[in-house]
Amino acid sequence: MKSVPRLVRRFVGILLLSFLLLAALNITLLVIYTTSQMPNAYPWKTAKEVADDLSQNEDGYQLSEKMARELEASNAWAIFIENDTMQVVWQTDGLPETIPTSYSISDVASLTRGYIDDYPTFTGEAKNGLVVLGYPKDSFWKHMWPSWDYQLIANLPKTALSVLIINVTLIFLIYMIANSKLLKSVKPIVDGIQALPAEQSVHIPEKGILCELAASLNKTSEILQFQNRQLCKKENARANWIAGVSHDIRTPLSMVMGYASQLMEDTRLNDAQRKKAAVIVKQSERMRNLINDLNLASKLEYNMQPIHPQTINMVSIVRQVAVDFINLDIEGSHPIEWETSETLTSCLVHADKDLIKRAVGNLIQNCITHNEQGCTIHVGVTKKGDNCTVSVVDDGVGATDEQIERLNKSPHYMACDENTSEQRHGLGLLIVRQIAAAHGGTVTIGHGMHGGFSVKFTLHARDGAG
Amino acid sequence: MDFDYLKQKRVLLVDDEQELLDMVQSILAEDGFLNIATAKTMDEALTISKTYRPELAILDIMLPDGDGFELMEQLKRTADYPVLFLTARGEDDDKFRGFGLGADDYMVKPFLPKELLFRVNAILRRSYKGENPIAKLAGSEIDFDRAQVIKSGEPIPLTAKEHDILAALYRNAGRIVTIDALCEAAWGDNPFGYENSLMAHIRRIREKIEANPSRPVSLITVKGLGYKLLVKGR
Repeated sequence: MKSVPRLVRRFVGILLLSFLLLAALNITLLVIYTTSQMPNAYPWKTAKEVADDLSQNEDGYQLSEKMARELEASNAWAIFIENDTMQVVWQTDGLPETIPTSYSISDVASLTRGYIDDYPTFTGEAKNGLVVLGYPKDSFWKHMWPSWDYQLIANLPKTALSVLIINVTLIFLIYMIANSKLLKSVKPIVDGIQALPAEQSVHIPEKGILCELAASLNKTSEILQFQNRQLCKKENARANWIAGVSHDIRTPLSMVMGYASQLMEDTRLNDAQRKKAAVIVKQSERMRNLINDLNLASKLEYNMQPIHPQTINMVSIVRQVAVDFINLDIEGSHPIEWETSETLTSCLVHADKDLIKRAVGNLIQNCITHNEQGCTIHVGVTKKGDNCTVSVVDDGVGATDEQIERLNKSPHYMACDENTSEQRHGLGLLIVRQIAAAHGGTVTIGHGMHGGFSVKFTLHARDGAG
Repeated sequence: MDFDYLKQKRVLLVDDEQELLDMVQSILAEDGFLNIATAKTMDEALTISKTYRPELAILDIMLPDGDGFELMEQLKRTADYPVLFLTARGEDDDKFRGFGLGADDYMVKPFLPKELLFRVNAILRRSYKGENPIAKLAGSEIDFDRAQVIKSGEPIPLTAKEHDILAALYRNAGRIVTIDALCEAAWGDNPFGYENSLMAHIRRIREKIEANPSRPVSLITVKGLGYKLLVKGR
């Protein structure tokens, strides 16, 4: 389950990025705005200009025409307090009546810092006194106590960083709280989606903000499970049907085979009659083999055949199968040549003994079935490196290149889902292939060196005596 | 006939199909079996067995009133004699169950009469070998009970291994027995690497049973595969 942590990481990343971008944007805007507001110091400048502009002549003090207009434009008034008398000796026109005409030192200190009768005031130093400029009551706000604790200024970077960290933490907490609910409902859905390909049954509680998604997933899982069950049922039914049919055929076929076999050996019958009986025996044997093959092939195809692997000696298994065929071949029409090196006494493989016997038996039976007029069958085991190969080669009619190509490449009709009009071959080789596949081995079909048919069945050999 | 005593054995055939019973009976009768009783149900089989006292039972598994496994257990309660299953049930599980319960052999239908006869005779030889343990060969006789060979009237003792090897060959008289099967008979499970010892034993056996050990006529080598014991009258 990696998706949810990845989701959280991604969200946190986006969050941090947004935070940084926002901070950068704000700082930029602040800088631009405050720079544009810099002329805030202008009342002080104006006051200084007025002080410089004020000139003394015989009639008293006088302000230049230009400066007077400027003051008038900003609705400001001005007074000049003489140093010696602390009296107002000059003033602009339109001075509010509430403005006093004499001042004490404390009055001057107060007006420098703040206001006279709520009028924000600014001072400019002139030669013999002080010029005081007053602006309309709502034009300026004055900072009355322009001093800071030194420590506060000294710790400003640290303080700023702490504030930043606190802010980020707070935002993250808000995010987590807001999203934990979402994540909580996402997690089972992610789990569920991951369980679907594994063909597990999924049951997510259908609540929370993603309840609809959960419901869809549950439904999907149900459908999948249902289809799987149906498929399994069908496959079982098919395999069981084949098993049932082959079972029911066995007893009647026993009688056909048994009586025909007796007739075949009945000396009271003439040769032609006995030959006919022999054909019945042979054909019923073919039917028996087909029944056995059909049953096993369908089970192997639908993985219903239990496989019990154990360490077995391939040489001894193949030898036993060969001997069983020799012991059965009473007429001697299909002699078996044992072609295994005398030094190879054992070749160990990890496999199901009965299935391997079956595979080798099928290969030998294949030679017999396809060469009714008789042939010599060469059976051998070789060990090359990690491979243990059983070869069954005959000197019979063999097959064309095209047939061999088809046997090697195209799927058998039992394992093929298309309708095929091609000539169908028996199940013997299919079973050999299925058994090889079940053991991780391979089957190679080709021409025999004796002119007939050749099949090599290769399995992975285990370490051991060789 | 060397195996006449085996043909005297009382055989009980149980199968729910009358026609199959008839056929197996005729196969056995033709091979010389003289005492054959048949039953179509479990009940019938149990009733017959009380008076008939079979010495070999050939049972089907699916019976109208029970199954062959059950029948075997009940039959074996009264006397211990060999049982061969002859059934249409070819599943491995059924075979394992049959053998697990003590069956002596298991044959799946359809079958060739020859195979049935071979198996029946092999079971009987194995089960009743103590009763007539003399095997007649071309140049000698083997007395398994005394573990000796009688050649030209002279008894020659057999060693335990020689006895085991000969017994395995005799049980399959006339058929090839693989090297592996012989090694297993003499040395038990996992008989790897005994091939050379086996050859030495075979040589010594030949000296005891063959008139001319360098040209054997009774104990034949089938190169690379195994050996075959030829018994007179077989």
